[in-house]
Amino acid sequence: MAPAKFDGMKDDDMVEIHSNLGREKHPPTKGFLVAPLIFVFGCLIFVCSIQLAHSTNSFQVHPPQEIVELTEEEKEALRLERKLDSGKKIFTSKCASCHQPNGLGIATQYPPLAGSEWVSANPELITKIILKGLKGEITVKGEKYGTSPAANMVAVPINDREIANVSTYVRNAWGNSASEVFESDVADIRTNTAGQNEQWIGEALQSEYLSGASTE
Amino acid sequence: MKFTAEQIIDKSAKWVISFFIASAGLWLLAAALLAYCAAAKLTDPFFLSTFEFFTYGKVKIAQANAFVYGWGGNSIFAVSIWIIARLAQAELRGRFLLIASGIIWNVGITLGLLGILDGHMNAHEMLEMPREIWPLLFISYSVIASFIIVTHRSRSKHETIAPQWFILASLLWFPALFIIAWNGLEINPARGTLQAVLSMWFGQSLIWLWLTPFALGVAYYLIPAITGRPIDKYYLAIFGFWCIALLAPWSVVHHLEGGPVPMWIPAIGTVMSIAMIFPIAVASTNFHATAFKDIDIVWNNLPLRFVIFGTLSYTISSYIGVVFSLPAVAKLTQFSIINEFHFNQRVYGFFSMIVFGAVYHMLPRVTGKDIPVGAKSFHFWTSALGVLMLLLAYLIGGLTHGVLAQQPSLDWASSVIASIRPYFLITQIAFVILGLSQLVFVINIWKVLFPNPFQFLNNSSNDSAKNAVA
Ligand code: HEC
Repeated sequence: MAPAKFDGMKDDDMVEIHSNLGREKHPPTKGFLVAPLIFVFGCLIFVCSIQLAHSTNSFQVHPPQEIVELTEEEKEALRLERKLDSGKKIFTSKCASCHQPNGLGIATQYPPLAGSEWVSANPELITKIILKGLKGEITVKGEKYGTSPAANMVAVPINDREIANVSTYVRNAWGNSASEVFESDVADIRTNTAGQNEQWIGEALQSEYLSGASTE
Repeated sequence: MKFTAEQIIDKSAKWVISFFIASAGLWLLAAALLAYCAAAKLTDPFFLSTFEFFTYGKVKIAQANAFVYGWGGNSIFAVSIWIIARLAQAELRGRFLLIASGIIWNVGITLGLLGILDGHMNAHEMLEMPREIWPLLFISYSVIASFIIVTHRSRSKHETIAPQWFILASLLWFPALFIIAWNGLEINPARGTLQAVLSMWFGQSLIWLWLTPFALGVAYYLIPAITGRPIDKYYLAIFGFWCIALLAPWSVVHHLEGGPVPMWIPAIGTVMSIAMIFPIAVASTNFHATAFKDIDIVWNNLPLRFVIFGTLSYTISSYIGVVFSLPAVAKLTQFSIINEFHFNQRVYGFFSMIVFGAVYHMLPRVTGKDIPVGAKSFHFWTSALGVLMLLLAYLIGGLTHGVLAQQPSLDWASSVIASIRPYFLITQIAFVILGLSQLVFVINIWKVLFPNPFQFLNNSSNDSAKNAVA
């Protein structure tokens, strides 16, 4: 009835033959070359264990921390970058309302910080201004400011580190380029001027720090 | 008239097998249609886009489920009933209950697919059918599997051979996987990452421990049955069997490479995938060393040609799978359409091809009628062409996709999508070819199973005519 062209194997025989094959004892060499087999096994086990040792992360639940080795210069660059970033944030929240986000100030009211000789002078100057504020007439980039008593700057209540960061930012933003300001120096100035409650007087600072620069 | 033992067994199983094969065929067509819809949507997003039932996410999932549970499940039942009964030399037990549970199984899947299309999807891989359906499926599956095992237990010889191990193991592994996954996902839901791991593990293990061992078992049966030669290096088969049993459930987790899971999970997966080389090598030695002794038979005997296509595709793509599990490669291909390659290779290139071979071998014996040679060989060549096109498109397309997606400078829509679109077009054509060839297959098996579907109408009209005369 079955239209098989080939005789094939009857199921009964199949079970019989294969059971016999299964019972037979095989010397391990039969039909296979032992040496290459062991070699292949060995290689696989070797590769597998290396893979396991490398990538299981000692069976911990959390992924490993990326450990990145930085050179001294890279570390320094990274520190400065972070300092400037923080300074920018402080500037936006504490200073930009008057000196404007672009640092150009508002004519006759708020003096510019961009390109200002006050900013780029001795770092003590900007630190002092932020610490205590500033009043009285001053000259910035040849323009007069602080002519009316209302147009003055009050002390900005921020800590030493923030002052260091924001001054460093201001001294290096919008084309300014001046040295970094350090927290320890700010702290020194704060202790030295601890007794002073008044704002600085514009002419006094101008003649102290900028006598050579603003001759006009 | 005296029947041979084989004929008695075949007769005992005839209706059960016919039922399961007929339903498997229908599911195959349904899956082919859905596969085409899903593929068409990738080249033309507006295709069928006005129907809420047919959004890509639903169609794609419905296709996978129709394929694995509908076509896969039914054909596994049909073929394992036959092979187990034949090898046990025992008549099939529990015919009535088998058909009854078969009906429940099929109704369950139908409802499940409707549920998916309606949006009641369950968010776990290969468990997407709505929750309420699963007890139904599980019970009907258990009944069917139990009767197959009962038939096996009444075998005349005590010893068991390779096809029996593989087929029975696959029958038992599915419920085991299901219980583990269902417990960890629904009854006592695991928390956090573990749930995702479990869901993914079930979806992949289903293919590796249900479809794969079954298809291997069928190949272990058909190759000696057709060539008449015992399996070459048969003593390796037991080693291959235990390797699959022990390694496969571990190896599948390599798919989580780069995922938010503890690193040792994908690492173990990779190692176990590499170790899977052993069982793959064993199976392919067993099959090909036996079959290629008579290349003539392989070429001329259609069922065997299907089976050997399947085993070759299994060997080659499993090795490719091992390469893709290496972390260095996985980084590239992880999130590309390569995943489609793995799925389609397993279910079309390997599982289905072997089942086609088994059906062509079994049907003439069970029903006593043969399928026309022309139809069979049309089916073979179109299937082979379709599968090759599909797999190559997914493989090459997947590599392109993965490599391009690694370059953040490229614009997504204009360069990445544009360069894989042609591959989607190829898969769409491949699905048309496959659909056509499967249509021919199903029409032919239905014609053999029910040669004269309207006979009962004629009979009854004759009867009534007679009655009228009387
Ligand atoms: C309430 C508005 C206001 C705020 C806020 C303010 N300033 Fe000023 N600032 C002024 C005014 C007004 C002057 C000019 C004072 C004068 O002419 O006496 C000035 C002057 C200065 C000067 C010297 C002049 C120049 O343009 O270089 C500096 C430097 C300065 N401010 C820095 C800062 C920094 C840094 C901050 C933020 C921490 C800040 N200011 C916040 C109003 C403000």
